[in-house]
Amino acid sequence: MKTADTEHRTPGGTDRRRPVLEIKGLNKAFGSNKVLNDFNLTMYHGEIVVVMGRSGSGKSVMVKCLVGLMKPDSGEISILGRDMINISSGELDELRADIGFLFQGSALYDSMTVRQNLEFPLRHRKERKELTENMEEVVTTALDQVGLAHTLDLMPEELSGGMKRRVALARALILKPELMIYDEPTSGLDPITSKEIIQLMKHIQQTHNTSSMVITHDVDCARVIADRIVLLINGRNYAQGSYEDLAASEDEEIKAFFKT
Amino acid sequence: MKSKATKIRLGVLVVVTTLILLVAAYLIGSRQNLFEETFKLKAAFSNVNGLQQGNNVRFSGINVGVVSQIGMINDSMVMVRMRLEKEIQPFIKSNAIATIGSDGLVGNMIVNIVPQAGEASAVKDGEEISSFSPIATDDLLKTLNVTNENAALLTADLLKVTRSLLSGQGTLGTLLKDTVMAGDLKQSIANLKTATERTNRSLQRFEGWMNELDNREGLLYKLTADPETAKEADSILSNLAAGGQKLNGVLDDLDTLVNSLGKEGGTLHYLNSDTTMTKRLERIMINVEGGTRSFEENMEALRHHWLFRKYFRKMEKEAENNGG
Amino acid sequence: MIYSIQKRFEDFFLFTAELSLFAMRYFREAFRRPFEINELLRQCYNVGNRSLPLVALTGFIIGLVLTLQTRPTLQEFGAVSWMPSMVSISIVREIGPVIVALICAGRVASGLGAEIGSMRVTEQIDAMEVSGTNPFKYLVVTRITATTLMLPMLVILGDTLGLYGSYIVENTKGDVSFMLFFNQVFDALEYQDIVPATLKTFLFGFAIGLVGTFAGYTCKKGTAGVGRAANSAVVIASLLIFIIDFMAVVITDLFYEL
Repeated sequence: MKTADTEHRTPGGTDRRRPVLEIKGLNKAFGSNKVLNDFNLTMYHGEIVVVMGRSGSGKSVMVKCLVGLMKPDSGEISILGRDMINISSGELDELRADIGFLFQGSALYDSMTVRQNLEFPLRHRKERKELTENMEEVVTTALDQVGLAHTLDLMPEELSGGMKRRVALARALILKPELMIYDEPTSGLDPITSKEIIQLMKHIQQTHNTSSMVITHDVDCARVIADRIVLLINGRNYAQGSYEDLAASEDEEIKAFFKT
Repeated sequence: MKSKATKIRLGVLVVVTTLILLVAAYLIGSRQNLFEETFKLKAAFSNVNGLQQGNNVRFSGINVGVVSQIGMINDSMVMVRMRLEKEIQPFIKSNAIATIGSDGLVGNMIVNIVPQAGEASAVKDGEEISSFSPIATDDLLKTLNVTNENAALLTADLLKVTRSLLSGQGTLGTLLKDTVMAGDLKQSIANLKTATERTNRSLQRFEGWMNELDNREGLLYKLTADPETAKEADSILSNLAAGGQKLNGVLDDLDTLVNSLGKEGGTLHYLNSDTTMTKRLERIMINVEGGTRSFEENMEALRHHWLFRKYFRKMEKEAENNGG
Repeated sequence: MIYSIQKRFEDFFLFTAELSLFAMRYFREAFRRPFEINELLRQCYNVGNRSLPLVALTGFIIGLVLTLQTRPTLQEFGAVSWMPSMVSISIVREIGPVIVALICAGRVASGLGAEIGSMRVTEQIDAMEVSGTNPFKYLVVTRITATTLMLPMLVILGDTLGLYGSYIVENTKGDVSFMLFFNQVFDALEYQDIVPATLKTFLFGFAIGLVGTFAGYTCKKGTAGVGRAANSAVVIASLLIFIIDFMAVVITDLFYEL
C-alpha cells in the first residue's frame, strides 16, 4: 500500500485525481451543540485546501477528527485510502506518521530542547529506518530548511513566537508526511512573521510534494496560499472554490468573510 | 535523561536509601535472630502468663534470644520454643530452669533461663529444659500458707498448754524479747526433742505403774499398804513433779522459738529457707503436743485416783498461793 | 438547593469513577511495551532528588520538635530513657510516612498537575499523540511509577533524618550516645512496624502520582484550568493520603490480630 503510494509521488509532480482525504457526512456534537453537521470534503493530491470559518465553527474539531484526537459521532473519514474511523491503535500510529500536524500554539514540548523536540516524533518509528538511523542529520536538515539551524540546543522558552512556529513546522515535517495539516498557522503572529510562515508553507508544499490542509480565518493567508477554499459555516461545507470565485460571490454569508 | 550527572545522582539516592533500609532490616532482624547462627531450646509450662512470640529470652540477665513459637502440647501444658544465640549454648547447662517473668514495670513478658547449682552437661540443640511455672509458684505458696496456718494453730494450742503449766510470767517475758535466743535455736530444738522423748518415756513407765496399781494385785498395791512403800510412792510423785517442771522449761524454749518465728528477718527467714528444718520443727511440735496431751491425761487419771487425791489437793493449794 | 446537593454527589461519584478508570488505564498500560525508561528515570530524579532537600529538612525538624515537645512529659514520669523507642515507633510508623507524603503531595502532585495541565492546554499532549508517542505512557505512566517508587525512598530518608534530629536533642539534653540511642531505636522497632509502614508509602506515592497526573491530564482549557488542576491535585492527594493511611492502619491491625 505504502510502496504504491510512493510510486505515485514522482518528485515535483502531482496527481490531482488521486484523493488523499475523503470526509463524508461527518457529525460531531458536544451536548446539544452540533459542531459538525454532515460535513463533506474531498482533497486531492498536491492540493492546498484552506478551510475557513468563524471561531467555534468546528474547524479545530474537524481536524482533530482527522488525526484521531477526537472520535466523530458519525461519518466516514478516509486518509490516503485508509479508513480512519475503524482503525486499530497500531495502524493509527502508522497512519499518523504520514500526517504532519502544525498546532495552533506550536505545541513545542517545553521541557525539552529544540533538538529533543525534533527527535521526539522519530521515537518508536522503527519502520522508518532511513530516518531514525541518521537522526542527527535528519534533525539538522529539518531545522535548516526552516532556517533555524543555530537553535538546536535552545529551550523553547528562549525562542520567539515565529521561531517556535518554524521549529514546530520542522517537527511536523520530520517524518516526511504526505498530508500536512496546519491549524491556524499564523495565529498570534505579527503580519510580517505571518507572511514568512506562509512563504515557508508554500515552499514546503513544492519541495516535499505534499498535500496541505490549512485551517485559518486569515483571509490574506487564504488568498496567498489556497488552491481551493472551503467555507465551514454551521458545521457544514457551506461553499468551496478558488479565492476569486468566493470573493466574487453574492451570498451574504460568504461576503461576510471576504469584505476587508 | 539529560546527563550522566543526574543519572548518577539518582543512582546515589537509590543506593543510599536501599542501604538504610537493609541496615535497618538487619538490625531489627538481628534482634529477632533471623540472621545469626542459632540453636533451639524448649520448655513446657502450665501457664505462660501472656508470653508472646518474639519476646526476649534472658540467660543470667543477658538477652540471648527470642521466643519462636508457643503452642499447646496437651490440655494443660504449653510448649514454649526458643531460638537462642549459638555462642551461648555451652554456658546453658541441661539442668537450667526456664521461668517466665516480666521485664520491668511496663512488663513485656520474658523467659528467664536460670542456671542451677551442680554439674551438668551443656544443652543440646532442641533439648527440653525443665520449667518453673508461675502457677506452680502460686501452688507452692498456697501449701506453705496452709502449713503456716497449721503451725499457727499448733502454736496457739501449745501456748495454751504452756500458759496453764506456767506459774509465772517473768521468764516468759524476757525470753520473748531475747533475739539472741534465735541463734541457739537448733540446739534448743534438739533439747526439746530429747526432752520430749524423755518425757514420753517416763510417762509410759508411769502409765505402766498406774495400770499395775489399778488392778490392785501388783506390786504397788502391796506397797501402799505398807507405810514404807507409801513413802516410796511419794518420792515417785515428786519425781513426776520434777519431770513436769523440766517439761515446763522445754516448753518455755519452744515458746521463744515460736515467738521469734513471728519476727521479721530473724529466725523466720532462716527457717523458711531451710525446708527440712521447718519439717523437723513441725514434727517436734506434734510430738510435744502428743506428749503433753498424754501427760495431761495421765495427770487427770492420777488426780481421780483415790490414792493421790489428797496430794493433788495440796498441789492445787500451793499453785493457788503461788499464782495469787 | 436539593439540586445542588444532588449535583455534588453526582460530581463526587463521577470523579471517583473517572479516577478509578484512570488508575485502571495506568495498570493496563504500565506493563505493556514500549517502556519509556529514560523518561521514567528523569521523573525519578525529579521526584526523588529534587524533593530530597525539602524532605530531609522537614524530617529533621519533625524529629527535633517531636523530641523537644515530648521530653518534659516523659521527664515528669522519669521515663526519658523511653524517648528513643517512642520517637522511633511514632516516626517510622506514622509521622514519617504521612509528613513526607504530604510534602510530596504539595510539591510533586501540584507540579504534575500544573505541568501536565499546561501541556494539555497548549496541545503538547495532542502533539505527542499525533507524533506516534502514547502520551499516557510517556507522561502519566512514567510519573505515577516514579512517585510510587521514589516516595518510599524519600520516607526512609525522612525517617532517618527525623531520628537523627531526635538523637541530637537527646544527645545535647540528656547525654545519650549515638550507639545507645540507635540501639534503643532498633530495639523498639520490629518488622511489623517497618513493613506495613513501607508498603503504605508505595500507596502514598501511587496516590500522589495518580491524582497529580489525573488532574493535569483532564485539565480544562485555559490558564485558569491549569491553576485549578494544580490546586485540586494537592487537595485530593492530601485527602487520599489520609484515607489510605487510615485504611492501611486498619488492615495492618487486622492482619496482626489474626
